[in-house]
Amino acid sequence: MIFGRLQRVGTGLLTLTLLLAGCGSDAGNQPIDLSGGVPVGAVLALTGNANVYGQDQKTGLELALKQRNGSGGINGRPLKLALEDSGSDEPGANAAFTLQINRGVLALVGPTLSQQAFSADPIAQRRGVPVVAPSNTATGIPEIGFFISRVSAQSSVIAPLAIDRALKLQPGLKRAAVFYAQDDAYSTAETTIFQKALKEKGLDPVTVQRTQLNDQDFQNQISAALREKPDLIVLSLQAVDGGNLIRQLRELGYKGLIVAGNGMNTPNIYPICQKYCDGLLIAQAYSPELDTPANGAFLKAFKATSGGATPPQLTAQAYTALQVIGEALERLDRRQPLSAATLTAARKELMAEILSGTYQTPLGEIRFTPTGEVIQSQFFVAQVRMDPGGRSGRFALLQ
Amino acid sequence: MDAALLEQMLLGALLALSVYLPLRCGQLSLATPGFYAVGGYVAALLSTGVPAFAGTGATSPLPALLVEMALGGSLAGLIALAIGRPVLRLRGIYLAIATIALVEILRVLNLNLPFTGGAMGIFGIPQPFAHPEGYVLFTLVLLAVACWLCQRLEVLRLGRAMLAIRDDELAAASVGIDTPRTKLIAFVASAVLAGVTGALAAHFLNAWNARVGSFDASITTLAFVVFGGSRFWLGPVLGGLALTALPELLRPVGDLRLILFGGVILLGPLFFPQGLVTAERLRWLGALLGRGRGRRKPLAP
Repeated sequence: MIFGRLQRVGTGLLTLTLLLAGCGSDAGNQPIDLSGGVPVGAVLALTGNANVYGQDQKTGLELALKQRNGSGGINGRPLKLALEDSGSDEPGANAAFTLQINRGVLALVGPTLSQQAFSADPIAQRRGVPVVAPSNTATGIPEIGFFISRVSAQSSVIAPLAIDRALKLQPGLKRAAVFYAQDDAYSTAETTIFQKALKEKGLDPVTVQRTQLNDQDFQNQISAALREKPDLIVLSLQAVDGGNLIRQLRELGYKGLIVAGNGMNTPNIYPICQKYCDGLLIAQAYSPELDTPANGAFLKAFKATSGGATPPQLTAQAYTALQVIGEALERLDRRQPLSAATLTAARKELMAEILSGTYQTPLGEIRFTPTGEVIQSQFFVAQVRMDPGGRSGRFALLQ
Repeated sequence: MDAALLEQMLLGALLALSVYLPLRCGQLSLATPGFYAVGGYVAALLSTGVPAFAGTGATSPLPALLVEMALGGSLAGLIALAIGRPVLRLRGIYLAIATIALVEILRVLNLNLPFTGGAMGIFGIPQPFAHPEGYVLFTLVLLAVACWLCQRLEVLRLGRAMLAIRDDELAAASVGIDTPRTKLIAFVASAVLAGVTGALAAHFLNAWNARVGSFDASITTLAFVVFGGSRFWLGPVLGGLALTALPELLRPVGDLRLILFGGVILLGPLFFPQGLVTAERLRWLGALLGRGRGRRKPLAP
C-alpha cells in the first residue's frame, strides 16, 4: 500500500518537473534590456583544472571593461559585463552559456577550453548569439557556425614557427623527441601539428611519448626518450605538467633545445620549472614587447593593477575579445540605435559587425574571415630568460 | 527553471538509478560512467558517421535516436555481461576497485582507439530535438519507465532476491537464490541503463569525449546515491536531481558556490547517514498522505 502511494508521489513529482519544464521561455523578440548598461556575457573556467587560464582571462576582461567604460562606454551608455564560471567541463560550460543567453546578453566571450567550445558553442549558434572565443585554438571552432568567432589564432598557424626558429638557432638538429598528454584535447591537437611540421623539415620524431594531464612523475617517459639521444624536445603540455616535465628532463641530464606549445605560454610556469625554464622556445600570438599604441595602453593598464608584472597571452587575448565586441557594438549602435532594436535582430547585426571590422589590439592589427577565424598580422617566437635566482623571468622576443 | 538545467538533472537521476541497481543487491559498483561513455560513443559515432542517423532536416530523426539508445544500451550490457562473472566474485571495496579499473580501461581505450577522436572526442553531434524542452519530455518518459521498473522490483521475485542478497548473501544462497545470476542481472541492468542514458546525453551535450567517463564521474554518481539514500529508488532519483541542480542554483552566491556545494555534500551524510529517503521516512510520508486522504473521504457526499 505504502509503495502504491509512493508511486503516486513519484508521478506527482514528475508532473511537477514537467510543468516547470513548460515554463522555459525564450527572450526572442523582446527589446534589449539596457538598464544598467549594454549587456555582454563572459563564460570562463574559474574553477576546475583550467582555473589558472580562467583567472588570467578574467584580468583581461576587467581591464578591457575599465578601458571601454572609462572612454565613454558604448556611445555614452556603459558596457555591462556578466561573468559566469563554467568549471572546466562541458556540462558546466553549457549551463553557463544557457544562463547568459537567457539573461539577454548581446554577445558572449568564452569558453576557456576548446572541448567546452565544441559542446557550448552549438547552443549559442542555435539561439543566434555572437561568441568571440578568447582562447580556443583547436581546428574547427569557427566552423561551428556563423555566430562563432575567435581572436585566438589556431595552433596550426603558430606552433610550426617555434620549430623553424629552433632550426635557425641550431641548424644541425637531427633527432626530435615529442611529448604530449594523451588525455588532453589541446595537447593531442597541437602535437599533431608539431609532428607534421617536424616531418616537413625532415626531422621525423625518433620517439613520441604519451603522458597524462595529471601526471607528476615523468621518469619513465623521459628515460625512454633520452635513450634515443634526442637533440630537440618538443612538448605539447599544459603549464603544470609541462613545467614539471622540463624540470625532470634537465635533472636527468638533457642539455639540448626544448620547444613548447601554447599551453606553457604563461608566466605561471616560472615557479614550477624555475631555473630549468631557461632557454625554452615558445611561439606566441601575443608579445608584451610589441611596440604599438594599443599594446602600450594595455601594458600600462595591466602593470598598474598587477604591480609591474608583464601580461600573459591569455590576458591579452581576453582583453582583445571584449575590445572587439565593444568596438563592434559602438559602430552598430551608431548605425542603428540599440534602444530601438529587438534582441534577436541586434545579435545578428552585431555578429556581422564584428566580422566586418579591423581592430587595433594588443595582439597587433586583427580582422576576421567570413567564417569568424582571426586574421592576425604578426606572430612571435620568444625564448624564456630566467633571472639568476630562478624565481622569475621573462619571455624575450627573438627578432 | 531552465529546461537545459532540468535535462541535466534528469540525466543525473538516470545515472543515479544505474548506480542504485547493483547497490540494491549489495554490490558497490562504480562502473556507471564507463558504460555511460560507451553508450554516448555509440550514439556519437552513428549520428556523425552514418548519414541515415544524421538525417537531412534541421533535426535528426527520432527513430535514429531510439536505435542508438538500443545499441548503446546493448553494447554496454554486453560488456557488463562479459566481465560481470569474474568481477562479481569480488565483494565490497574489492569490487569497487575492480570497477574503477574497468572505468579507467574504457577511458584509455576511448582515448586511443582510432575512431573515437582521441582526447578531442567527437563533436558536431546532430540534435533530435530543436529545443531543450523536447529533451526534457523524452527524458522524463525514460525516467518514468526506469522508475516504474524499479518500483516493480519491490514486488517481483527478482527484486526480492536482490534484497535478500543485500541483507545476507550466504543466507540468500542457502534458501536457493541463484546469487551469481541475480547479481549479474543487476550489474547488466545498471550497464544498460547507463548506456541508454549516455546515448541520449551525447546528443544533448553536442560533443562527447573520454572525460565523461572518468573516476571523478564515478564519485559524483556515487554521491547521488549516498546523498539521496540507497534503500528505495526515490532516493537516488532525488539525489541525482538535487546534486546536479545545486551548483547551478547556487550561482547567485558567486565564488562561494562550490564551497557551499561541498558543505551540503558533507552535511548530508552527517545528518542523514542513510540518505534523504529511508524506509521510516517513507512510512511516515505514506501515513501522512493516508491520513490526508482519510480526512477527505468523509467529506465526500
